Amino acid sequence: MISIEFKGLVKRYKDLTAVDGLNASIESGRITGFLGPNGAGKSTALRCLLGLAAATDGEALIEGKPYSHLTTPLAKVGAVLDSSGFNGALTGAQNLKVICAASGLNPNRIPELLELVELGQAANKRTKGYSLGMKQRLSLAAALLGDPDILVLDEPANGLDPVGIAWLRQFLRTQADAGKTVLVSSHQLAEMQHTVDDVIIINHGKLIAAGPIGDVTRNPADPSGAAQSLEDAFMRLIGVSK
Amino acid sequence: MNLLKSEFLKLAYQRRTWGLFAAAIFLSVLATALTPWALSRMKNAVVMPLTLTSSVDGVYSKSLGAYILALVLGIVIMSSEFQHHTAIATFLAAPKRLSVLGAKLITAAIWGAVLNVVATGLGMVSGAIALSMYKDAAKPDSYIFVDYIASAALTGAVLALVGLAIGTLIRNQNAAVSVGLVFFLVVDRILGLVWTEGGKYLPSGLITSMMQLHIDVNIKSTGLRINTADYLDPLPAAALMFGYGIAFALISLITLSRDID
Repeated sequence: MISIEFKGLVKRYKDLTAVDGLNASIESGRITGFLGPNGAGKSTALRCLLGLAAATDGEALIEGKPYSHLTTPLAKVGAVLDSSGFNGALTGAQNLKVICAASGLNPNRIPELLELVELGQAANKRTKGYSLGMKQRLSLAAALLGDPDILVLDEPANGLDPVGIAWLRQFLRTQADAGKTVLVSSHQLAEMQHTVDDVIIINHGKLIAAGPIGDVTRNPADPSGAAQSLEDAFMRLIGVSK
Repeated sequence: MNLLKSEFLKLAYQRRTWGLFAAAIFLSVLATALTPWALSRMKNAVVMPLTLTSSVDGVYSKSLGAYILALVLGIVIMSSEFQHHTAIATFLAAPKRLSVLGAKLITAAIWGAVLNVVATGLGMVSGAIALSMYKDAAKPDSYIFVDYIASAALTGAVLALVGLAIGTLIRNQNAAVSVGLVFFLVVDRILGLVWTEGGKYLPSGLITSMMQLHIDVNIKSTGLRINTADYLDPLPAAALMFGYGIAFALISLITLSRDID
C-alpha cells in the first residue's frame, strides 16, 4: 500500500529550483531511504510533504491527502525535522506536553516515550541544556506521541553516538515490521545500507533513482550483476567518481 | 480549544512570562507608590497638591504605566516560535495556520489584559498605601478604580495584539522588541509633540484618553505644550485602540503564506 506520494512536486525560491518535478511513492511496512547530496532538495521535499513549505507546483500526499487535510496529523504522521525545534526554556516533558495539547493527544504516554528514547532521567531538565543527541532523541519521542502509522525522519542519526545509532536502526526496523511506513533522509550511506529496504535518490531536485536497495545498487557495468555498496552506487548515480 | 491550551502552557511554563509579570508589577507599584512622595517634595507642589482630587487621581493613573510590557509579551509569544524554531512543531501538530494564529491572538489578548490588570491593580494598592501616609491627601474619584482597571484590560489586550503582529513581521526577537519599544517609547511620544493635532490618535494619546485624564502640562522651559483637553472620549479612544489591534492582527495574517523554516 502506498503511504506517501510525490506527484510532480516543484519548489522554487526566486531563481533557485530546490525540487524539480519529483515523482516517487513510498510503501507502508518498509523503510525508505531518501538520499542526495547537500542541497539536493531532500529537506525541502519533506517540508512540502508536511505542509511547512508551499509547493510551487505538483503535490505531496499522505494516504492521498495533503498533510493539512489530516484530521489528527500527529496520529497519522510523526516527523523529526529539526533537532533544535524545542523551546530551551521548557523541560523535555513540558515541550512534549505543549505538543500534545496542540494536537489534542493524551499526554499519558510522555513518561513511557521518554523512557523509550532513554531520556527518562532528563525529562525535567530544560532542553537548552540538552546535547544534540538528546534533542534528537526528544524529537523522536515527539514524533511518536500520536503512535503514528508513518514516520518521516530528516537526518535522525545526527548527534547520536554509535550505541544510539544501533538503537535507532533497531527501532526503525521494529516500526517497519509492525507495518508502519518509515521515510528517512540521511547522509550516512553506510548506515543507511544496513537500515533501509528501498531508496529514493535525488540530485539538484530531480529524481535520479528509486526502488529496492538491491535493484538500485546493482552495477549495470558489472556483468556478474553484483551489487555495489550504497555509497558506490550513490556516487555512480549522481555522477561523481570516487 | 486544544491550541488555546497549548499556547497557555507555552506561556505558563516559561520563566520569562513570569519575569514580565514581575517587571510590570514592579514598575507599576514603584511609579504609583513614589508619586505622592515626589509631589510632596516638589517646591512648587501647588501645581498638583495632594489635597486636590485630580492630583490623587493622577497618582493612581501612574499604576497604568507598565502597559508597555504587554506589548513585549505579545512580541515574545510570536517571535519565540521563530527564535526556538518551535514553529515547526506547532504547525506539524496543527497545520491549519489560521487556527494557530487565532489561538495566538486570543492568548495574547488574554495574557496582555491579565498582565496589565494585575500590575495596575497592585499599583493602585501601593498608591493607596502610599497616600495613606499623607493625612491631608484628598480622596480619589470613586469611578477611577473601575475605569483604570477596564482601561488596563483593554490597553493590555490591544498592545499584546500589536506586539504579536510585530513579532510576526520581525522574526528576530531582539529586533522585534527593540522596534516595539522604540516606536512606543520614542517615536510615538515625538510624533505626539510634533503632530499636536494627530497626537490624540496615537497609542499613547488613546491610552491617555481611556484614563479620562485631562491634564494640562505646560513645560515652560521648552515651550512645548501637550493639551489633552481635546483628546478623544474614552469609548471612541477604546474603539480606535481596538481597531489598531485588529489592523495589526490582520497584518499578522501575512504569516499564513510564509514557509516555515
